[in-house]
Amino acid sequence: MTTSFGRLLKVELKLMLRDPLVLTFVFVFPVLTMLIIGGSFGTKPQPSFANVNPAHWYVASYLTVVIAATGLVMLPVHLASYRERGVLRRFAAAGFPRWSFALAQLVVGLVAVATASTVELGVAAPVYGIPALHELWRVALGIGLGAVAFVSIGVLLGTLLPSARAAQAVGLLLFFPSFLLGAGGPPPDALPHAMRSIANLLPLSQVTAAIRDPWLGTGPGSASLIAVAILAAASTVLAARRARL
Amino acid sequence: MCSRRPTAIVAAMLTNNVVTVRGLQKCYGRRKVVDGVDLDVLEGEVVGLIGANGAGKTTTVECIQGLRRPDAGMLRVLGLDPARDAERLRPLIGSQLQDSALPDRLRVAEAVELFSPRRTGDGEALLEQFGLGERRRSAFASLSGGERQRLFLVLALLGRPRLVILDELTQGLDPSVRRNVWAAVSQLRNEGTTVLLVTHELGDAEALCDRVVAMRAGRILDSGPPAELVDRHARRATIRFGLQDVAASDALLEELRDVAGVDLVERDGQRATVYGDRSAIAHVGAALVRNCSVPADLSVQIPTLEDALLDLLDGPEAPLPSDNHDQRLIGAMR
Repeated sequence: MTTSFGRLLKVELKLMLRDPLVLTFVFVFPVLTMLIIGGSFGTKPQPSFANVNPAHWYVASYLTVVIAATGLVMLPVHLASYRERGVLRRFAAAGFPRWSFALAQLVVGLVAVATASTVELGVAAPVYGIPALHELWRVALGIGLGAVAFVSIGVLLGTLLPSARAAQAVGLLLFFPSFLLGAGGPPPDALPHAMRSIANLLPLSQVTAAIRDPWLGTGPGSASLIAVAILAAASTVLAARRARL
Repeated sequence: MCSRRPTAIVAAMLTNNVVTVRGLQKCYGRRKVVDGVDLDVLEGEVVGLIGANGAGKTTTVECIQGLRRPDAGMLRVLGLDPARDAERLRPLIGSQLQDSALPDRLRVAEAVELFSPRRTGDGEALLEQFGLGERRRSAFASLSGGERQRLFLVLALLGRPRLVILDELTQGLDPSVRRNVWAAVSQLRNEGTTVLLVTHELGDAEALCDRVVAMRAGRILDSGPPAELVDRHARRATIRFGLQDVAASDALLEELRDVAGVDLVERDGQRATVYGDRSAIAHVGAALVRNCSVPADLSVQIPTLEDALLDLLDGPEAPLPSDNHDQRLIGAMR
């Protein structure tokens, strides 16, 4: 890869694997919490889990945790840190086109999601088993659109927040409620009505429903898929406008 | 964008200017940081921008690099508009920026590979030249301040750029490395590379620059070769010595008052102080030798560029020298 974009992407992929925050939040945290909570409710189908195996429920849900960790924690901190320290100015002065850094981050984010998801499924397979895919194309579309939406949100946050510390604070503040209410916490049916209403408004809940429902055969997830598609389009346009940096 | 002195602008563009700036203005909010700067950098020149903090030096070079869009004025760098032709221009410019960094975990060799516009293979040679050969696998975060500066210089010189912009080049470098960097800049000049240096270190400017441009509050106060600026603005040379033969002292001091270049002779007990221009140093020395009274405690204080800059910054604003420069360019056209 000898183009400026190619060189930048190669370096950014290497740096991603050297970043303790990425390794912790994107690769270790989802796997660890999936193992803990996936084993907490047994394997017998239960009504609050739409009558499916609770362990499978969480295996299908936790791909979204990877997506959220990438978009809400990894990318905003990384980008804000680069802006704060003048790394982006140095790239710009060296002739890297303005779009190349944002595109590299988009690709790095998607690679992080793909790799961490593979790791998660690789760990889940011998422990809980991988649930059968009922509608492959819907699941693939949900993962793809959800990843694009949250990676774009990550780029957007990284270009808006003034420092790495601010990005970390805001990112964690967005991540944990989304994680607990929208993906890795109790199932929606176990939540009180008010909390369930709030959970339904979270973007991550829509991504989770768009992936989990067609995966486990608990519903088509069409409304959620449309909502995620709209979110992906809107966040990508906004991120592209902001990422002119 | 600019309607000022069109003949001069055309003249400047037809000469071998690498950088041509006319009427550059830039505001941050309501604060005007660059206010009508005119600047020419000829091919092969080493030009220094000097001035206090907030003088507008860095903003001026950021506009030249295309990193900031000017509010008004005309810029041409290597015949291109830095704002419009940024992507074509930037590979031709090597930049060492003030207040910027690299990713903490990026290794030295990876940085060289990342910033090499072409596979010229000069990265390895530059790393060796600047004493970073042994640090190829070191992460940026583990480098000392001096090593980071040297790495930035290596990155600025990759791919043999036609214009090199160095902002606070020797900040944080120890004296031996500073000499190494000076030698590198001299080598660039010998190879015909044009260098624009932004610095607080007036020793750098005096040692390296063919011409310096002094700025204050976004405007150019004066420009010229360092020695000329010193002659124009620095305090006088000062010669001090003890009077050995008290009886002959009055006659000696009277003689010194008439020596060429001497402005003032003062006596304070057994000490004499002579003020004058640089030529006075030689004439006073000769007079002391003629009178067989060469003092053992003779000291000479030569005015420096720092003295000149302090005088400029303290004094009233000088007329812009660019008018003279434009006249020269128009003359060259005729």
